[in-house]
Amino acid sequence: QEVDMQAQAENIRTVFSDPANFNVKHPLFSAWTLWFDSPSTKGRNLPQTPISAFPQTPVLQTPGAQAAQGWMEDIKRVINFDSVEEFWGLYNNIIPPSQLPQKANYYLFKEGIIPAWEDEANKYGGKWSIQLPKDKNRPHVDRMWLFTMLAAIGETFDPSPTNNPNNSLITGVIVSTRPQFYRLSIWTRLAPGPAEEDPKLRERIESVGRHFKVQVLGYQETQKLGGPLATEVEFQSHKDSEKKGKSVRKIVV
Amino acid sequence: GPLDLSAAKVSRQSSLSTARLIEDINTIKYPEGISSPKPELNENAKPGQFRYDRDFLLQFMGVCKEKPPNLPPLDAIGLEPIDPSALAMSRGGSRGGGHR
Repeated sequence: QEVDMQAQAENIRTVFSDPANFNVKHPLFSAWTLWFDSPSTKGRNLPQTPISAFPQTPVLQTPGAQAAQGWMEDIKRVINFDSVEEFWGLYNNIIPPSQLPQKANYYLFKEGIIPAWEDEANKYGGKWSIQLPKDKNRPHVDRMWLFTMLAAIGETFDPSPTNNPNNSLITGVIVSTRPQFYRLSIWTRLAPGPAEEDPKLRERIESVGRHFKVQVLGYQETQKLGGPLATEVEFQSHKDSEKKGKSVRKIVV
Repeated sequence: GPLDLSAAKVSRQSSLSTARLIEDINTIKYPEGISSPKPELNENAKPGQFRYDRDFLLQFMGVCKEKPPNLPPLDAIGLEPIDPSALAMSRGGSRGGGHR
């Protein structure tokens, strides 16, 4: 068996041993789709937020069919990929967030999940997000977005990951550029109810937020981040986000 | 899709397209200086479904420079840098001359 393993190893060429003619690549836990939108991808007078323009129909579950409708029409699918090597090929040939025009968004979502609240995978979920003043963070945002993507595709956000990719906690990550700030978001499939309900899920969601704040963004666990144009790392369910201010519950780490 | 002339410059078929996905991460031997993914991330991994730590993933950054064959021309989807010269600088100079 030793010999077999040896023979097999000699046939395997990773990108490290042969960057031009490698014959194996590293599969990601899930396949991913990168989407993009900006004012130049939008038709005129179309709303920017998904909720108002996105039709509430079962068609939602088939990305291809509903891509022609509502706001998804303005969001361009850039690429699908399912390996580490393809991710970096994409990364090294695309524009980083610091070079995007204002009001642009990258949405990196698991293949088959639409970057909209209405998708089955998102509708019971929520998001961790942070808003960062643009001037101070222009030198950092590209690395923050890279590390956010790496934690997503490497599947290291969730402290108790499932073995079933169709059920994994993270559904996607987003970077948004606005005139005054950047926003980074992590979307989750589930959102905890009020504090006393569901302590396990709450702890799992909070772990994602702490991992985001400390390992990905590089802040101290106890650091206060809020300020002019800046927010803490905070979680909100999509259902609460729809309410716009009315009794909105937030989790902050 | 639209005609992409950049594809014509690629003389051989891209390894990105032809390489097969690794099924058992433990059979992979990396050259000296390259670390394996943290083993605790893949203790119960199903074939072909792996989790990777950031340090492992970052090792590919300077190696995987080739544009994926299925990446559309960026300007065709409205994806254009606000300052192309700054972009070139942030990439560490001209194409092909990048640092490892």
